[in-house]
Amino acid sequence: MDNILKTYMGGKKIDNLPSNNVPSPKNKSSILSKNEGIKLSISSLNAWFGTKHALKNIDIDFKENCITALIGPSGCGKTTLLRCINRMHEMTPGASVKGQIILDDLDIYNKGSDPVIVKRRMGMVFQKPNPFPTMSIYDNVASGLKLNGVKDKSLIKDIVQESLQGAGLWDEVKNDLNKPGISISGGQQQRLCIARALAMQPEILLMDEPTSALDPIASSKIEELISDLKEHLTVIIVTHNMQQAARVSDHTAFMYLGELVEYGPTAQIFKNPQKDLTERYISGKFG
Amino acid sequence: MIDLGLNKLSSIIGDMSNIATDSVIKAIDAYKEDSQKATKEIFESSAKLRFLQDEVSELTIELIARFQPVATDLRYIKSCMEISYGFSRLGRYAYDIIDAVDIFGPLKLCNKSSVILMSETVLDMMNTGVSALRLLDNSLTNKIYEKENVVDILYRKSLRDFAKIVNLNNEYPDNRCNISSTLILKYLERISDHACYIADCVNYIKTGQSSPRR
Repeated sequence: MDNILKTYMGGKKIDNLPSNNVPSPKNKSSILSKNEGIKLSISSLNAWFGTKHALKNIDIDFKENCITALIGPSGCGKTTLLRCINRMHEMTPGASVKGQIILDDLDIYNKGSDPVIVKRRMGMVFQKPNPFPTMSIYDNVASGLKLNGVKDKSLIKDIVQESLQGAGLWDEVKNDLNKPGISISGGQQQRLCIARALAMQPEILLMDEPTSALDPIASSKIEELISDLKEHLTVIIVTHNMQQAARVSDHTAFMYLGELVEYGPTAQIFKNPQKDLTERYISGKFG
Repeated sequence: MIDLGLNKLSSIIGDMSNIATDSVIKAIDAYKEDSQKATKEIFESSAKLRFLQDEVSELTIELIARFQPVATDLRYIKSCMEISYGFSRLGRYAYDIIDAVDIFGPLKLCNKSSVILMSETVLDMMNTGVSALRLLDNSLTNKIYEKENVVDILYRKSLRDFAKIVNLNNEYPDNRCNISSTLILKYLERISDHACYIADCVNYIKTGQSSPRR
């Protein structure tokens, strides 16, 4: 896998995609300069669905090149937090967001920030594999590039191969690139979705229960892939599987009823949580 | 479901603590009374403790494999492995004490004051350790640590006293008293260490903090 990733990272870089040059607030920049290694910083984040207060004053920093697991019972706000991070939440009718999310030096909720640019810097993988059903394996991976105006066929071809290699799928599909994306197994489809996300060369990969619909072998491959990807990406993963969080993540955040209850190194959260609520949840006493 | 396994584990550890403390008390009584009546029972208890230690080991592995415990449950399981080893060692030291009585006896004419003094402190430490474990009360552990220092001082003082006697009476025809006392003091000193290890485990279960190596 290492070689595959080296190929991926050492490969073609997309230079002609639009970028966001909106400056971030000065005070936040100065804070960030003191917090080297933090990729994404969330302050006082609140989110609503209509009148339902879904996220309550979330403050959390996600470290660069680390995997952070978001755990908590259903409805606690994990997915909403992911959707706020990549500005998908505001697309839901009646939904609203307040607070600050800083990606490197970009305040993503600043009025001048372009949601399209924000989304391009963050790949997202969902619970169920969702390849575009009418597209081939190749086109599934190439689609984001084409939609973003990349026309160089040679460049697209190289990036498709590198992305499939990065997702650990190339060897399995290299002779079937023209087959429909939905013709491969569920586990392969999920890795195809990861390849699709990687093709846009994101800095952060958001994963919403990426293995919940997969069998143990396919899940294991995805977990191995996630571990390898962190060398080049910051990964935030929502999972209901405590053992998966314990296996793959460097840091774990426990959420409950829209609040961030506890956040720390994964070993500490699972061996010696500081909050009784965390202990009861990870021990299976509720949830 | 893991609670069933944890309850079983707790029950075995409880049985081991009873057997181990009972064996040590009987071994010290045997030394005081110069009696070998309890020899067979102590030997059997030592073997039973080893058997129970294996049972704890199997059960802990099963619980980890089947339930992937975390937090307090995980710390309790890890500690049970160490505590069961500690109790099996207590059984072994009881065995060694009565073995020394058997090999070096009769010891009726020996001055047993240093061993008896130290045994009282060690038995107190052991009982406090068992209470701390039963109640999972780490407020008791400091009492054990304080007494360990007393045991260490008594142990070294006694050894120096015996060395003086041996040096002064180098033609003394019977060193059985000195040798048996030295051995038993060493076993008692080890029992006091294991009482501390039990205290360390109780602290770990309660706080998640490991104690420094002794």
